[in-house]
This record gives sequence, C-alpha cells and structure tokens, in this order.
Amino acid sequence: MSTEQKPDSLAELRRRQPAFRGLDPGHLACQGCGQALAARLVTEATGPDVVIANATGCLEVFTTAWPRTAWRVPWVHSVFANASAVASGIEAALKAQGRETKVVAMGGDGGTFDIGLQALSAMLERNHNVLYVCFDNEGYMNTGAQRSSSTPHAAMTTTSPPGRERMGKRHLKKDLLSIIAAHHIPYAATASVAYPSDLRKKVRRGLAIEGAAFVLVHSPCPLGWGHAGELSIEVARMAVQTGIFPLVELERGSLVAAMLLREVHPVADYLKLQGRFRHLFADHPRAREELEHLQALANHNLEVYRLRGEGSDARDSEGADTVRRGGLRWG
Amino acid sequence: MLTLTRGAYATAGSSLELNTGNWRLKRPVHLHREAPCHSACPAGEDAQAWLAEFAREDPRAAWETLVAANPLPAITGRVCHHPCESACNRGQFDEPIAIHSVERFLGDRAIAEGWPYPVTKPDAGALEVAVVGGGPAGLSCAYHLVRRGLRVRLFEAQVAAGGMLRMALPTYRLPRAVLDREVEHLLEVGITFVANHRLGRDLSLDELHSDFPATFLAPGTGLARSWSVNGAASQDLRSGLGLLMEWLSIGLLPAFRRVAIIGGGNTAIDLARVLRAAGVQVHVITFQALPGPGVPAQEAMSGTRREIEQALEEGVIVHSHRGVRRLIVRGEQVVGVEMVHMKELARADGRREAVAFEGTETILEVEQVIPAIGQLIDPQGMQALLGNAEFFQADSWGRIAGHPGIFVGGDATGRCGTVSAAVGDGRRAAQAICAFVRGVAMAEVETSQSIGFNQLNRSYFEHAPRAEAAILPAASRNAEIEVESGLSPAQAFDETHRCFSCGECMACDNCWTLCPDNSVLKTQDHCVDGAHYVFDYDHCKGCGLCAHECPVGFIAMIDEP
Repeated sequence: MSTEQKPDSLAELRRRQPAFRGLDPGHLACQGCGQALAARLVTEATGPDVVIANATGCLEVFTTAWPRTAWRVPWVHSVFANASAVASGIEAALKAQGRETKVVAMGGDGGTFDIGLQALSAMLERNHNVLYVCFDNEGYMNTGAQRSSSTPHAAMTTTSPPGRERMGKRHLKKDLLSIIAAHHIPYAATASVAYPSDLRKKVRRGLAIEGAAFVLVHSPCPLGWGHAGELSIEVARMAVQTGIFPLVELERGSLVAAMLLREVHPVADYLKLQGRFRHLFADHPRAREELEHLQALANHNLEVYRLRGEGSDARDSEGADTVRRGGLRWG
Repeated sequence: MLTLTRGAYATAGSSLELNTGNWRLKRPVHLHREAPCHSACPAGEDAQAWLAEFAREDPRAAWETLVAANPLPAITGRVCHHPCESACNRGQFDEPIAIHSVERFLGDRAIAEGWPYPVTKPDAGALEVAVVGGGPAGLSCAYHLVRRGLRVRLFEAQVAAGGMLRMALPTYRLPRAVLDREVEHLLEVGITFVANHRLGRDLSLDELHSDFPATFLAPGTGLARSWSVNGAASQDLRSGLGLLMEWLSIGLLPAFRRVAIIGGGNTAIDLARVLRAAGVQVHVITFQALPGPGVPAQEAMSGTRREIEQALEEGVIVHSHRGVRRLIVRGEQVVGVEMVHMKELARADGRREAVAFEGTETILEVEQVIPAIGQLIDPQGMQALLGNAEFFQADSWGRIAGHPGIFVGGDATGRCGTVSAAVGDGRRAAQAICAFVRGVAMAEVETSQSIGFNQLNRSYFEHAPRAEAAILPAASRNAEIEVESGLSPAQAFDETHRCFSCGECMACDNCWTLCPDNSVLKTQDHCVDGAHYVFDYDHCKGCGLCAHECPVGFIAMIDEP
C-alpha cells in the first residue's frame, strides 16, 4: 500500500495506461453495452495505425455525439449500406499512396446481415485488404429493438412480439458465416466479448492476413435483450458455453479451429438470463416446443462445428478465460 | 468554451469532456472482505495474504506476514488440524489449498535461511511483563508483547521451552530438531528466558504481582483427568498423558501386548500409534464417531482427522460409539473390559449426553486400560485464581474478572486444546496486556463476515490438483521418523497459484479489460484500498459489470452518495 492516487492525476494515469485503447470513455452507450466493449477490444488489437469506416448504427451514434468523438483513431461514418464500399475505397487510396495503414470496416448486424450485405459481398469478392468487424447484437437496437435477420429464432423484439400467433421471431437467425464462407476469403471468424483474448487474437489474425477478413463479434445488448447491464459478459459467456454462438475460425471457407466446450450448458442457462426469451418459460406446450427447438439448434452447432471438447485444454471454453494473478492471461 | 456556429461547424472535441458519471445510480468500490481461511484460523493468520505474497515470488515477505500473527509456522504447519483448509472456498470447487503444507514450507525456509523475525528489540527502559509457561500460548504472548515494544521475562518449569509440544507430542508428528530450532529462533527476538522456574515452587503469584505490571499465565494442562468405572480402577492404572510423556522423556514403554485406550482425542491417538509402532495390539474406545464425510464435526472424534486415518492405516483398532461398562479383573489384574454401544444424544433440555444401549455389551480382552480422556490444570500456586473451577474463567482477551493485571491463555482456559488456538490466545492477551500496562482503552474489534463461495465468480478459475506432500507408507513408519514430508519449493509455489484470493484483489485485469466505458484505470502501485486499479467516476456509468465479473468478490456496488 504505497501511493495514493490524487484525484487530479486521473487524466495523467489515463495517459500512462500500458495498452493502446482506441475508444475513450464519455461515449453515450447504455450501461453494460457489449458493443462498446467489443469495439474497444478491437481497437486494442488494431493499434493506432488504422482507419475505421463505420456504418450507421448504435456504435456510430453513441461514439460521436457531435461535435465530440470517443475515437482516438481516424474514423469515417458512412450510411447504413456502404461501410464496406467506403472501406474498399480507403484501402485502394492508401495502397495507391504506398501506405500500410490498416483498414477496418465496422457495422452492426443490421448494417451487415441486412442492409450492407451487398456491399460486403462485393468487398469480399474483390478481396480488398480490409478487416470487416460485425458487432452482432441481434436486432435494430438503436431504434428501439426491431428484429433483424440476425435476431435468433423465438426472440421477442418490438416487431416480433410473442402472442397468440407466434412465440417471438418466427424465422431463424441468418447463417451469415456460411454466406461469408462461400466467398472463400482468406480468413473469417466468430468471437465473443466474453473471451477478450480470443477476440483480440482473431482481430490480429484477420489484419495479418493479406486480403479480406471478417470477424463476427457476439455483443450483448442489455436493453434489447432484457438483462441487467452487469450480466453482459455472463450472457455472452453462456451463449458460447451452450453452443448457441460457436466460436470458430474459417480459412478459405473451411473450418480450421473451434473453441471447444469443456462443459456444455443446457441452452436454458443462456435463455433464462434474458427478457427477450421470457415467454419460452411459460407453462405452455408451444413454449416448451420452442425451447426444445432452440436446444436442437444449439445441438446442431455442437455437431456441425464439433464443439464438444474431450478433457481440458488451455484454449477451451473454461481454459480461455482463466485468470492469473497479475493479469498474465490476457494476450 | 465550445462555439456552435450556424453552419454547424465545430472543432472536434473528445468525449472525455462528457461526464457520463452522472448517469450512475450505484458506484463500484473496492472492498476487502475477509477470506474464510482467515476467519477460521484460531491463531488469526491471514493465509490469503501470505499466499499472495508467496505467489509474487517473495517467500520472505510471505513468512513475515505469516509471523505477524503466528510466530511458530514450522510447528503449526506440522501439528495444526488446519480449520483454514476445511473453510477454504476452493474446497467447494475441487480441493482446498494445502495451506498447512505451504505454512510448513515457509517456516522451514525461515529457519534454514535464518530470516530474523520482523521485530525491533524493545528499549532497555521499556516495561517488563512476566509470562509463565513456555508452551505455544506463552511463546506467542511473549513474542507479541515484544512486537508491541514491551520487554518480557518468560518463566518455564522445564529445562527448555515448548510445553506440551515437547512433553506430549510424538516425534513422528513434530521432530525435536524442528521444535528446538523454531523456539530458539523465536526466543532470539529479545525474550528473557528463565528455565526451571515453576509457579508455586520457585515463584509465587504475589511475587509476580509485585515485580511486574502484568502477568500472563499459560501453565497448560499437565494433569490427566482421573478415570474410573463406577469408582473402580485397576491398581496399576496409568494415564495416556503420563505414558506419552514418559516415553518422550526416557524413551521407554511398559511391555504391553493388548491394551485399550479410552478417548478419541489426540493424546489417545498419539499414544495408540506409539504403542502400535512397538508392536502392541491397540484398541481405542471412544463414544464419538469416526470422522468422515457426512459426520458432523461435533460428533466426530476430537483428534485430528489425518492422524486418525494414519493410525487406522498402521493397524490401530478404533471402537467408535462405544463406552466401557465394566472392568473385568482377575485378582489384581485387569484382563478385559466390557464395552457397550453409546451415542451422544440431545436431551429434552438441549444438553447432549452419552447414552448407552442395553443389549449391546461385548467383552474385549486386554491386559491394560489406559484413559486419555482429557487434561486438567495442575493448580499448584494458582489456587487463589482458580478457586474450585477446573479451568480459568477468562474472557477472550484472557482477562479474569476481579484480577486486574493477570491474564491467562492456552489449554488452561479449557476452551481450545489446540496449538493454533493457544497461539491465538497469546496474541490476543498480548494486545490486552499492552492496553492494560499503557492505560489505554482496547480498540473495538471489527467483526467481519468472511466472503462465501457464491460471492466469487468461478467462471474464471480452472480445476487444478492440490499439492500433496509425500506420506511414509504405513509399513515403513516407526514412532521416530516424521510421517509427512514437506513440499518441494516448486510444489509450494504452484500451490499459491491455486488460491482464489477470496475478497482481495489479485490484479487479474478483469475489471480493466471488461469495462465497457473504459473507466477502470490500471496503476503500477498498490492503491490505498489494496487494489491495482482506480475507478474513473467521471465516466463510470455504474453498470456493475466489473463487480459481477470480479473473480474474487473484491468489488461492491454501493448506492451513490
């Protein structure tokens, strides 16, 4: 117990932080926002020598309350549809100038799964040396939680309310990763805010590879998903450990790695944390059926991505977030 | 001053200017909570704290923190029944930390390296306090008095200090070299040691009262409790304590073939093992249960579980839930005992009483019955204080009502009967004595609830096997060689990393890494609150994520002031 931190030294302490962080506080994200955390973790992996093209969405809105910005790296806002196109142009321009500054495109699931899909596909097809990061909070949360094509089956949103006809969203979550895989790009991966080291590793890998890369980051939304802000990591962790959101890596469209699950939780452990799945726990045959349906979807992931681990491994779902005295685990 | 022009042009500012801290309803604060090992330790050791120091590759600092509470770690690391490990939160996850083994390792290392106790010698003009009895309570009290700047004169009836550790603890549990070296090392802190002075023979309470401003009495319990069956006992009855002390001082045992030892405590088990090593068939008869899973602690034999298990391995026969109904005597000689099934049951008034069950009597043929059913104070020289009581009636600080300046502790209070409890008694009494001789009020004792298993976030811990010291196989044991060996340096160091660090920051970086508002800042130094991080309350929105994800339960959310 030696030095006491003086109140006025906080700014100084912030300058002396041992790692680069591209997103300052004072942004207007909700309490416990998964996306705010995810975006900051991405910038920690990119470092300061990067240009970010950001599609419309929560991230754009809460980081740049005009005329202030939370970004500490060059950042360009585009419309909903064209973050990939803007990033492609930036990459081409930097290339023409002979500069090696990295280019990252960012979008939410609305700007990626739905509105920006065409531009994304085109960028991947042209194989621009750009990393596209999609923060997947499974809905249009900025405008008050409407369903997107990424919203999981049976989840409640304002446009997929449970009622007499439906138990939440009728359709399935779009399998975007398979669409990305079909472009045969050098690298694609899924990551989660619950596993920061794994997330940063995948961002670094995506940037290191020449050509287009894609990382899908599962980012809980406390307001849209209906859970307390303090549970964002818990919810994200459960999504991984139930198999609902598998953490995988693809190269040229083929599965090369998956974070194995040492202990597979029943999907209810994930669902019951969230208000958007509350109706599935009603004492009703249709609720039970949908619960079984979601369990079957998780089981399907366990099979397709071969997620079930045997024994223990430092990189599996339990080993990857083990804490060490002195913070040694965080890569 | 920010100017917004009509054309909506402005110089870009940083979001740092926005005080999102005013969104907050609750704020995170660092809050140390007592680890269960700390709460459970009768000697008052904070194992979590010294394990953390050892984990930072500083075994000497770890030892210094340890001996701030307990000056005899090489001894207690061997003989303590380690309630810390029973309380350890990790026990609910996989297996508790091997605290006693690491404690022993540090104690042995300190002796081997000659680390001096972190104590400054008191001034020659400091007040001098008398301590009577050089057992663990007396040694602990003397040491803590010196730590607090008082001089100490320690009177011991025997030639050397150690008390029951020396007189009644078999060497396979505590090698005499370890005892001698740790006690000698301890006396070097500046305790004036006076051997061969027995209260009531060479000293009197009146003399102590006139010569010293305060006296600590830790005479121990050197008399065996008398035993008979309805008034009948054999002519040549020997107490377990007497036999054990005789064997330890002269190395001789009577030539028994089959004996019954009455009692379920450590004296009974120690003697059973010593006799067993000499080839005697040994039966231990106790109304208590064999310790095991599902057996409540208050019903189980009071001896240390590890010792009982090792005794069974060596072939000692334990008759649990059994009492002696009758001695079978032929002429002057005992030839057997009649045993009966017994159990301690709660009566209507709530008191517990041993009940014998008719029709369960059996005969056990033995040539000697040895009671080891407890010990009493030898009242010589202390009758004025004791009155008719068996033990001193003292409060937890060792004070006896109506006798200011006299403090007592250790086995003589009848409360504890363990080495670590005696060490704790000595420490508390030293604190009370200090306050007494200096005429200051006792500081209030903060009682804190220790942190529970459910207050930790276990997602961040992995299973890891506990470090086990090598145990001599039963076939190669004798009464001399130490049964349990120590941990290797690597084993001891690795074991520190299994510690959950309950209630205390372990600098894991979780809060720093996971804050969505980048409002946890890392510091190179320890802060005053013991953390390695500082909250930026200008920007923290109070989401509580850091508190929820803190693996060790060190962050609490409190209402905004």
